[in-house]
Amino acid sequence: MREGVGTSYGCSRTSGRPVPRDTELIAGMIRGESGAFADLYQKYRARLHQYALSLIRSRLEAEDVVHDVFIGLAKQASGGRMPRELSAYLYVSVRNRCVDRMRRKPELPLDDVDLDVIVAPPGDEERIELRRLLNRALLALPAEQAEVVVLRTWHDLEFAAIAGMQRTSVNTALSRYQYGLAKLRKELGVHGR
Amino acid sequence: MDDDRIERLLKGYSLPAVSPDLDQRVLSEGAAILGRARTRAMVEEVGRSLLQGLGFGYLAWAFDLVTTTDADYRVEFI
Repeated sequence: MREGVGTSYGCSRTSGRPVPRDTELIAGMIRGESGAFADLYQKYRARLHQYALSLIRSRLEAEDVVHDVFIGLAKQASGGRMPRELSAYLYVSVRNRCVDRMRRKPELPLDDVDLDVIVAPPGDEERIELRRLLNRALLALPAEQAEVVVLRTWHDLEFAAIAGMQRTSVNTALSRYQYGLAKLRKELGVHGR
Repeated sequence: MDDDRIERLLKGYSLPAVSPDLDQRVLSEGAAILGRARTRAMVEEVGRSLLQGLGFGYLAWAFDLVTTTDADYRVEFI
């Protein structure tokens, strides 16, 4: 029996139960289950949104990129096709779309950028105090270093996967990460941390 | 501050919230796309059963044969 719209996977009902694996969600989407799509979106949306934000540095454009990636995925599923490596596909899609948009618009000066790539947990005084400084320092990093720091720190991607996305060697990705961390450390040091 | 300390510090931060507007846009458009695909599949299924029932099952078979076989294009130099 086919499952209808929102029959079992409602986005808001995902808490308290394990989220199905990607392969199960893909199969559900190919069967036309919107609940599977909602679960898949719920699983990846925050990470892809932060990744897009860190690349494109505009809230509106990051949202448009995430929207286009998921709608593209739904269209593929409706035609019975889906990528084999879903996670890799989603990250590469976000990256390609961001790079494409960045080619078409001039880069904003850092002073004009007002967005949070990271959020401090409530009650954590040290992190709350450093949040603005770290956000700024992250956005001030060279793009390829910021990308590795974001993907490694908050997305737990392996250096090999990051290197594949950046079309570089694992050693280069590792160096970019270390240079990025060193700059963040220096930035905190300058401010007496 | 060493690398371990800064890594721990960074990992303690969480990801920024996604706007409810984006959630609503993606989920409603995605559901509509998948819903249309499901309807199309159901109509195809009904049409197939109907053809089968009327004794024209070979038409469905021929349609599948044409749509699932890759086209083979060739250029022959004379």
